[in-house]
Amino acid sequence: MKLSRLTLPVVCLSAALLSSAVVARTEIQNKGSDTLVNVAQAWAEAYQTVEPDVAVAVSGGGSGTGIAAMINGTVDIANASRQIKSKESDMAAKNGIEPLEHIVGYDALAVYLHGDNPANTMTIEQLRDIYGRGGKATRWTDLGIEVPGCKNQQIVVVSRQNNSGTYAYFKDAVLGKKGKYRQGTLDMHGSKDVVDLVEKTPCAIGYSGLAYATDHVKLACIAASDPATCVSPSPATASDSSYPIARPLFMYTNGEPQGHIKQYLDWVMSDTGQCIIQEKGYAPVRRVSCQ
Amino acid sequence: MFRETALNVRDKKVQGLFRLLFLTMTLLLILPVLVILGMLIYKGGPVLSIDFLFTAPTDGMTAGGVFPALLGTVWLVGVALLVSVPIGIAAAIYLSEYASDNWFTRIINLAIINLAGVPSIVHALFGVGAFVVFFGFGTSILAASLTLAIMTLPVVIVSTRESLMAVPQAFREACWSMGATRWQTIRRVVLPNSVSGILTGVILEVSRTTGETAPIMFTGAVFFTPFLPQGVFDQTMALSLHLFVVATQVPGVPDELPYGVALVLIGMVLLMNSISIAFRMYLRGRKKW
Repeated sequence: MKLSRLTLPVVCLSAALLSSAVVARTEIQNKGSDTLVNVAQAWAEAYQTVEPDVAVAVSGGGSGTGIAAMINGTVDIANASRQIKSKESDMAAKNGIEPLEHIVGYDALAVYLHGDNPANTMTIEQLRDIYGRGGKATRWTDLGIEVPGCKNQQIVVVSRQNNSGTYAYFKDAVLGKKGKYRQGTLDMHGSKDVVDLVEKTPCAIGYSGLAYATDHVKLACIAASDPATCVSPSPATASDSSYPIARPLFMYTNGEPQGHIKQYLDWVMSDTGQCIIQEKGYAPVRRVSCQ
Repeated sequence: MFRETALNVRDKKVQGLFRLLFLTMTLLLILPVLVILGMLIYKGGPVLSIDFLFTAPTDGMTAGGVFPALLGTVWLVGVALLVSVPIGIAAAIYLSEYASDNWFTRIINLAIINLAGVPSIVHALFGVGAFVVFFGFGTSILAASLTLAIMTLPVVIVSTRESLMAVPQAFREACWSMGATRWQTIRRVVLPNSVSGILTGVILEVSRTTGETAPIMFTGAVFFTPFLPQGVFDQTMALSLHLFVVATQVPGVPDELPYGVALVLIGMVLLMNSISIAFRMYLRGRKKW
């Protein structure tokens, strides 16, 4: 009896062991930003063909999660869509870890609107009125916009959870360093969730990486002040920094990268790697020509 | 001869009414199950194929299959079972066969009940602190499976204890009076008569472990890794986390893919359950009382 109870797991385990040929291999731990996670995944997937013996294991969770893991020494590369805070580098230093910053691409933070929303442009000031604490706009009509299908014209303000790099960057770029988000925002736990929600909600406005754009949502043309000079988000306007809310994307390593990690990062920065990030809807660090 | 009075008629009506009410409630209970299964099969059925089960995801997880995640879940559940089943059964045997009813036993029982009530995310954080960092297993199958094992231990202990207690006391007394020791009694009389109940606990554990996401996402499961796991210190993808990922994290996933993944997940649980249930029925058929 005791034997048969163990049979199932044992059979499963031996099947698992047999199904993968035993080879010498190296793992690179890569964790962090939800904005970068899909690019990181695409890089990891493509890197198999470059170095079949090196596996890049990718996890998301948010920039804060990645940096925290770097501080604890449990990852080789932390992905972040914001810079490391001085408090975080102090904590890392205490553990004998020196996070070294690498810019691997740029992201244009798009402002998403429902397809039926008649508005095409948004100024930073309007965004501040919508998102900021004490902001004037709680209804679309406060901005002189009437959205069909939106009951009461009440704006549904879609934001991100507070350990997200996107949350932190949008706050700095739109609300200012001292600015605070208004209360009652819908805080989503993923870049894609924001777009999904806006797509289904006529009253909604949300911000998320440009790479998450779909055909069913509208991307606002963003103006620093004068609506006539607005710039649409695109990889090109992100890398030449004409788009007002674009940000660098980082990978952090512990000190100068060595060995496999260095090779991987070099490959990420190569034309092949940069073409992958461009293909995913982000901006490469330099102009690359891809097929 | 018996004649129905007005009162009898009313009683009968009321009785019928309640019967109908309870039947409706029971049907309501099955409804969500049918709807969920129906939706999954309708939407996810078309993507299911042998290829889907046995290939890795490709094109930034928007195409290809689920093999690394499927295999990862088998590893996670297998290792968790190897840990929790022996410990859980041993603890249950002690509690039901050896321990006397005193304050110490009662505290242990209370602890087990409380352990069962701890939310899975708390287990996850405990797993990070204990297994990943303190014991230094890193984020690995071992750390994740140990977390799962601790989480499901109460299920195994409680169900095993219940089924041990369901064995009539007279069986034990008869055995003892023949001069058998406690252990001989347990080995030859109590365990063989309670094995179907014990299996139920294991079934429950398998189902719960397969579906859990929170305890593994910080301790051993990753968003993506190109390698299949080869040992307990590797990281792995897992079906439940993979479902979360394709449903919410990756842009451009075809609609039917998450349904397909969900169907594989449920199918896996149902398959394991039915194997155990069939085995249980076989054992119950041999029961002599």
